Amino acid sequence: MNDMDLKIKGKVPGPDSGIEVRKSLCAICDPNTQCGMDLYVKDGRIIKVAGMKEAPHSHGSLCSKGAALRQYIYSPERVLTPLRRTGERGSGEFEPISWDKALSEIAEKLNAIKDEFGPESVMFFAGYAKWARPYLTRFTMMFGSPNYLTESSTCATAMAMAHQLTYGAPAGPDLKNTDCIMFWSQNPSASGSLNLLNIQKKLDAGMKCIVIDPRVTDLAQRADVYLQIRPGTDGALALAMGHVIVEEGLYDKDFVENWTVGFNEYRELAADMAPEKAAVICGVSAADIRAAARLYATSKTACIQFSAAPVVHHTNGVQNYRAVFCLIPLTGNLDIAGGNRMNKPSIVYVPGGFPTREPQFMCIDRLAGMPERVGEARFPVWAKLTNQAQACDIPRQIRTGDPYPLKAFFALGLNCRMFAGSQDFIDALCELDLIVDVDLFLTDTAKYADYVLPACSSAERRELRCWPMGYIQFTQPAIEPLGQSKSDVEILAELSKHLGLDDELLESGMEACVNWILEPSGLTVEELNKHPEGMFVPGAKPPAERKYLNVGFNTPSGKAEFVSSLLAAVDREGYEELPSYREPEMSPVSQPDLAKEFPLILDTGSRLPMFQHTRMFRVPWARSLSPEPHADICPDDAAAAGIADGSWMKIITPRGQIRARAHLTKMVRKGDVHMYHDWPQANVNDLISGDYLDPISGFPGYRSSLCKIEAENAVEGGADND
Amino acid sequence: MTRKSLYFDVQKCVGCYACAVACMDQNDTDLLGGDLMFRSVMHVENMEAGEVRIAHVSTACMHCDNAECLDACPSRALRRDPESGAVIVRRELCIGCHACAMACPFGIPRFGGDGTIQKCDGCYARTRFGYAPACADICPTGALSYLDINEAMAAKQARFGASLV
Repeated sequence: MNDMDLKIKGKVPGPDSGIEVRKSLCAICDPNTQCGMDLYVKDGRIIKVAGMKEAPHSHGSLCSKGAALRQYIYSPERVLTPLRRTGERGSGEFEPISWDKALSEIAEKLNAIKDEFGPESVMFFAGYAKWARPYLTRFTMMFGSPNYLTESSTCATAMAMAHQLTYGAPAGPDLKNTDCIMFWSQNPSASGSLNLLNIQKKLDAGMKCIVIDPRVTDLAQRADVYLQIRPGTDGALALAMGHVIVEEGLYDKDFVENWTVGFNEYRELAADMAPEKAAVICGVSAADIRAAARLYATSKTACIQFSAAPVVHHTNGVQNYRAVFCLIPLTGNLDIAGGNRMNKPSIVYVPGGFPTREPQFMCIDRLAGMPERVGEARFPVWAKLTNQAQACDIPRQIRTGDPYPLKAFFALGLNCRMFAGSQDFIDALCELDLIVDVDLFLTDTAKYADYVLPACSSAERRELRCWPMGYIQFTQPAIEPLGQSKSDVEILAELSKHLGLDDELLESGMEACVNWILEPSGLTVEELNKHPEGMFVPGAKPPAERKYLNVGFNTPSGKAEFVSSLLAAVDREGYEELPSYREPEMSPVSQPDLAKEFPLILDTGSRLPMFQHTRMFRVPWARSLSPEPHADICPDDAAAAGIADGSWMKIITPRGQIRARAHLTKMVRKGDVHMYHDWPQANVNDLISGDYLDPISGFPGYRSSLCKIEAENAVEGGADND
Repeated sequence: MTRKSLYFDVQKCVGCYACAVACMDQNDTDLLGGDLMFRSVMHVENMEAGEVRIAHVSTACMHCDNAECLDACPSRALRRDPESGAVIVRRELCIGCHACAMACPFGIPRFGGDGTIQKCDGCYARTRFGYAPACADICPTGALSYLDINEAMAAKQARFGASLV
């Protein structure tokens, strides 16, 4: 081969090979990630992806999901024109129609529903993707509906609520400056793996590490103390650690005295949870609990790396994380270097150390004059702490019409498998007059829509993101949108015109909106356009330490609250003002009779590195790495049920059963079944009732319910789509 | 003269599969059309000892200096790229005899629907121009790297030294 042929084979960029590198980012997982991406483009097509070296957060790397982005973008299953349903809902029978016709018809129907039933009868939903959420929030407010909802009704929000209830705002771990980190149910090998390099460097430099996880993760093996707890018992463990810290006088007396309320009540609560008691509840040793508590409390600085969902995917989830987060003020590790620090979000949930007008852009102050949100009466503290409706309450309100009828659902992406009792969720949606879904693919859920509008991918649109080190990127399209697909923001702007919302700013396009949002930062689109790879924001500052000295904490008392005033104000079961420990509603301890027939703990939702919910299932490069639904079980449980490694088994709950391959591993505890979620032919979340929810957050109890397993000899895997 | 090669550090690998997918992206691997992956990531655990030990191993062709497969191949379908030292494949010459597979101590050669060998070519068309192989280029933890083996060993030696105190 001559040099030119070699360059083309090697995909070496340059004028001679005709291969150009365009700067972009990966939006497959979200947020706080968005790894910088180099897209190699030849003749208008992406021919290769690579990590972008300029990105300070991802240092030129990608994970397997990002690496597979090209096949995701060019999937033959992309929807390329607007579609209108012709068959029954769910049949997948559609006809292509023009954008103008689709948007006119949708607008006409939405306005008719608005006129007859009020704007609140229309719900606006954002799926997993976060980047367009500020625009959808604004759109919802301009339409006049209080019902802006997201997939964060089952992910992350409850974690944020536990922070908010305890000290007013989420406080992230300061890995860079800490002496000790406690990973509380977070596995960076499978999600957020780009942070591993930083973690490994710190570990090599002597940072202490505590890992709490029902599964033996890579990190657990490097931990100074590892606690393999029973799923859903995090609260008991945290209280026992508090017990040791208080009993041994290891708490920060100054901070507790001056900046907390309810310490005496907390002390009494923790006194009742000796390590020996928690050891029995959690299935770990009392000595290890003491060791973890001492290491966390006596390190000069220590932080907690929490996770978005695992701990709050329990029917006692918010209180469990409340108990964990109480350890932060208890030890004075709140808002200091090396501890857990608060910082205001700049763009799409991420703090960049610079001010923006994103909250004002979203117009959430308009909620004040509107009817109550879906789920507001059932989850009052959720309604107080978030600006969203709680989507897990949608099926109930659709069926009862209480407090008002719901008639239409407009989604930027919708995956019903994110909801417990998924089929029931879809069945309820089917009672509505109108379902519209904007998506890249005709997903199993999109098949139930009356209209499907084709969205484009991150490589075909502009997207504004920032990162905690003060870096910002406003991407430029690397390729033309495929078919007639469009950016979600463009779709919202055009629908706004068709609806006659008179939203001049949104309708004038994304660049105008970005300029408006960024105004306080001094940044402009013009400046950002000069830096397609992104740039450090001039003047961006890391968060100040101990901001509470000036402004207190954003809680009713202005202090960190062991006793929560917001919970105390609600007189309901599960709303104890202290983070007291309750068993998961379905556990071998809380339901011993049921556990005779269903003796194993079903834990769903753990991540595999090549998937992000359903997102990569249709991508052969990712799917080939894990082609079939499977669950992790321990060899002892497998032997008892006569199940061989790799064979099909049935996972059975009181609601039904699915089939999955058994993966025998000593990573998991005896008695636990870890079933990976979202599989089309083995949707484990449908085995859990839509009412199996945490009473405070409305989050499903995915990580702890009861099941049994049986050997299964048939080999059919079932239909597979999505 | 120093020559770079792929180096794998099992202590740093977390089994994220980025290397395997980057390899498929680089090589336009058409899995549905019968192409096979060149690089595999294995999850291994010690099921016997009292304590569970988990590790991940990413392997593809080692491009051995003394490559048994090269000697075994009767049809010259395998040859050494003189510049990078990679063992590369000319599938049109492969007769599908599997002699290389029998010779390879690492279980690397694979054979597609047409019976001919498919394996990693060390991204010799990239390294020629100063670019790292796609797998090493993407690795988030530095478990896979492309460097002079003696440099890699010096770093490992330093880590070993540090671990003694």
